[in-house]
Amino acid sequence: MTPREQTIERPTSVWPWITMGVAGTVTFIASMAVGPDAVQGQLSRIMYVHVPAAWLAYLAFFVTMAASAMYLWRKDLAWDRRAASSAEIGVVFTGLAIGLGMIWAKPTWGVWWTWDARLTLTAIMFFVYLGYLALRRTTTDLNARAKRSAILGVLAVVQVPLVHFSVVWWRTLHQPPTLLKPEPIDMDTSMLVTLGIAVVSFTVMYVAMMFKRIELARLEDEITEMQQTADVPIAGEAVTAPALERGA
Amino acid sequence: MTRYAKFVIPALLLAGVLVVLMVNLSSALVYFNTPTELLAREASDERLRLGGRVVPGSVDERDGLVAFSVQDCDAAVEVIHAGVPPQLFQEGIGVVVEGAWTGEAFQSDTMLVKHDEQYRTDAEDYNETDHACTEA
Repeated sequence: MTPREQTIERPTSVWPWITMGVAGTVTFIASMAVGPDAVQGQLSRIMYVHVPAAWLAYLAFFVTMAASAMYLWRKDLAWDRRAASSAEIGVVFTGLAIGLGMIWAKPTWGVWWTWDARLTLTAIMFFVYLGYLALRRTTTDLNARAKRSAILGVLAVVQVPLVHFSVVWWRTLHQPPTLLKPEPIDMDTSMLVTLGIAVVSFTVMYVAMMFKRIELARLEDEITEMQQTADVPIAGEAVTAPALERGA
Repeated sequence: MTRYAKFVIPALLLAGVLVVLMVNLSSALVYFNTPTELLAREASDERLRLGGRVVPGSVDERDGLVAFSVQDCDAAVEVIHAGVPPQLFQEGIGVVVEGAWTGEAFQSDTMLVKHDEQYRTDAEDYNETDHACTEA
């Protein structure tokens, strides 16, 4: 018996790639055009990618929480795909924020890494969301996977405010936030505008990545469903039942 | 897998994370001592971190040692640092040094520069008064 022919549509959208390229280029040009910081010099330019990367991680994990809650409410796998796609992007940008932060830390602080509250909590957040992605691979049952990960997706978001306010609540080596705080911002307008451009560009990039990732997730789910419902020989088909009532 | 286990597994994961937090982070939550806190301590060989702002005019470099004072709003402590300071080390900047408190000076062998959250293209625009006492 041959399995029945099934095909899936290839993802064809091109605009997310163009959008990501444009947003990346805009960030690069803006961060090169602005003047360097008086104390840190050229090193201050790392801020224009480090800060938006951290912001995207926060945003992505909030979206994961919201989409996970929507899944638990509506039981629609589309929400599960949104939650998972956002978590994956969030993990990438958490890793990026850590990596860029390390490159910034070595020449400014003098070390690549230190166990202060901000760095430690960020590392834990990174590994918890890696755990979220691992949890999604513990079953091929789409509904079971969605439910398990939705619960973790809602719970794990408590780490985001913990990471952000760690520098305010505890004494750390990492400086307190320049943005997202109640006090006035201690930054030149030109730098603030550049940082604003970078944050907006990264957010646009996130939207484009989400679109592409959700598209891919939908195809993945379609394939999984096809595999589970495909015409395969049923167990025991090759075996003939023994004649129990011989001679009867 | 029971319905119950689906809740227990994430809950256990999260509890594990919280335990790791409580055990390993309690010392990291307070990353360094302020000069005021250090002066309240007895001299000992215990390895500590001291953080504060480098007092302008106090830096004296010789024989591979750097001597300077760090201050918070209420007190200043003399630091004798053995080694080369990071490139951003300068008067008025925040530092965290690691070493032992002898009762008179802080003997340090590791120095980290703690820059603040201000960004200015012109050094004249730096807001010193607001930040001199917010180091902790």
